[in-house]
Amino acid sequence: MSTMLKITNLHATVAGKEILKGLNLELEAGEIHAIMGPNGAGKSTLGNILAGREGYEVTQGEVMFNGKNLLDLEPEERACEGVFMAFQYPVEIPGVNNTYFLRAALNAQRKYRGEEELDSVGFLRLVREKLEILHIGDELLHRAVNEGFSGGEKKRNEIFQMAVLEPTLAILDETDSGLDIDALKTVAEGVNRLRSKDRGMIVVTHYQRLLDYIVPDKVHVLADGRLVATGGADLALKLEEQGYAWLEDGGIATLNVESAAQTAKP
Amino acid sequence: MSDFSTQLASALPQDMGSGPGWVKTLRQGGVQNFRAHGLPTRKDEAWKYTGLGVMGQNGVQLATGFRSQVSGVSNPKPLAESGCQVDMLDGQFLEQIGSPRPGLTVLPLADALHQGVAGLQTLLESLPGPKSGSGSSFGFSALNTATLEPGVVVHVAAGTDAGRLSLTWSTRGDDVPLLFNSRVCLILETGAKLELVEQFESLDDNANGSNIVLQANVEENAVLHHVRFQQESEKAALITRTEVTQQANSEYAYYGFDLGGGLVRHDLHTSLLGSGAKSGINGAYLLDGNRHVDNHARVDHIAPGGFSDQYFRGVAGGSGRAVFNTAVCVHPGADETEARQSNANILLSARAEVDTKPELEIYADEVIASHGATVGQLDELAVFYLRSRGLNEQEARQLLTTAFCQSVSDRLADPVLGGVISQRMMDVMPHAG
Repeated sequence: MSTMLKITNLHATVAGKEILKGLNLELEAGEIHAIMGPNGAGKSTLGNILAGREGYEVTQGEVMFNGKNLLDLEPEERACEGVFMAFQYPVEIPGVNNTYFLRAALNAQRKYRGEEELDSVGFLRLVREKLEILHIGDELLHRAVNEGFSGGEKKRNEIFQMAVLEPTLAILDETDSGLDIDALKTVAEGVNRLRSKDRGMIVVTHYQRLLDYIVPDKVHVLADGRLVATGGADLALKLEEQGYAWLEDGGIATLNVESAAQTAKP
Repeated sequence: MSDFSTQLASALPQDMGSGPGWVKTLRQGGVQNFRAHGLPTRKDEAWKYTGLGVMGQNGVQLATGFRSQVSGVSNPKPLAESGCQVDMLDGQFLEQIGSPRPGLTVLPLADALHQGVAGLQTLLESLPGPKSGSGSSFGFSALNTATLEPGVVVHVAAGTDAGRLSLTWSTRGDDVPLLFNSRVCLILETGAKLELVEQFESLDDNANGSNIVLQANVEENAVLHHVRFQQESEKAALITRTEVTQQANSEYAYYGFDLGGGLVRHDLHTSLLGSGAKSGINGAYLLDGNRHVDNHARVDHIAPGGFSDQYFRGVAGGSGRAVFNTAVCVHPGADETEARQSNANILLSARAEVDTKPELEIYADEVIASHGATVGQLDELAVFYLRSRGLNEQEARQLLTTAFCQSVSDRLADPVLGGVISQRMMDVMPHAG
């Protein structure tokens, strides 16, 4: 396996306030990493920085993605290189048809990669295929992007976009927030069907619940802008039991897991 | 009066032209009114934001009489297929292409004035303004009446569906820019149906002016759909006025698209005279450069049970300036009226300006009314969302602004025509900055 994403000593500020304070992370193709942590730890900041959202200033460190310096790229270039973020709050875009939008996006990416653009027939074939894989209906296709969608529909639409765009690296930013258990299962099943040996995923979540359905290869704990602990899927269960209070007590050792510093590769 | 008004007044012909006596009387009234008041100025409340200085500066002169025809000149192709098409060049009836459906009569106004057409005299005499001592705010109408002759008359017989009629308007550039006057008269008898697609496109990059008055009488149960698409040259001035009277249970649906023109003003007035009449007034305007587009829409609910919906969307970039004024008046006795007004605008640059003002007056009972006007910027989060999926910044902004205006073209009954107009809007969509 090869390293797909390497984040080294990442420092970032939002509105002058330092949120990330030296974050290190390595993700290999085929892996799913979960990033957990208390509110305000910087979880969403990490996702937004990887996707290239404005308002986040990287003050130090670098992010290498498949040999390219990700931070040098515009958001659309990152998308075309294969980075996809499922938004915590998908944006409503009145008047823009969901299918039209997705075809425009896919064709922009294909053009960037020097591939032929898909005509509407070819695109619809692809859409049908993906809907089938995800076991979701086509009722979202004919509506304006996210407009008037329920919380569950919005998250499903994100997963559907991901299925069509076939990213190399997917970042799921609190995809479980605001979902009831049925919607959560549907979304998690969709994610599991998109697992592949060529695709890396970062699942950012506040609760362990999502990880019952999406079993990660690694779990990281993000606190105060740094990864303070890394472990296997069972680390999430321990967090569920003990909460995040131990962080304030400096109690990493008591959790009996490897600390991030120990697992960091040279 | 401005120098420009004085110059136009002195160019008006001395004799009252040919035709029946009542036509000469109308012209006489127009001449007198125009000589007394001239063109509107910024002192007129309705013209506060729209000055006419640019026409004077461009040296625009009043066009009188026919210019010799030039062979090989043809108007732009219609936006969509239609059985019958009329080309208007320099305000004059140039030619009719295709044959009208049974029940549809199309005539040059000059011929119709001599021949007589049912309801034409009443319609022409009913134009409010010049006769009612309204000062200079109706100056363009007075000028139009003073030169009454060029134009077109459309009559649809009772109970017939005339289908679509395309009316394409063009002007040619010459040594000096000219101001052309023209009149459109639409008479829809009881239960008649017509879709009129007006299209204004300059043949060349001229600074001509057009002053066009359209009058429509929509009788009981008649349906008039009126599409007005304009992509005039950046220097051209287009001054239009639409006066519609509606009888009981009639329907008028207007769809206006302003994509061009240097100085554009449209006054659109519908009067719901019969009960249960419906008016849908929709429009989109896209501005760039130094263009100025002013839409004034007014609906008078005079009879009970009427419905009106005014829906306008605007995008202004560069140093463009949009003026939008929408007024609804529900008169005493017009009970159980429903009136909606919505105007939303996107400003793409710091130099662009939008002045929007909804007005609502209600003097009746059991009225449902809503109005809203907004001026804002593109949602930057939406731009980022689209970019995060692979569209570049310009594509993302263009998609968002087009979608915003497309909500107007989506209202057209014919999706093919809506698609053509939507594409034309996308092609000229102003950019940020």
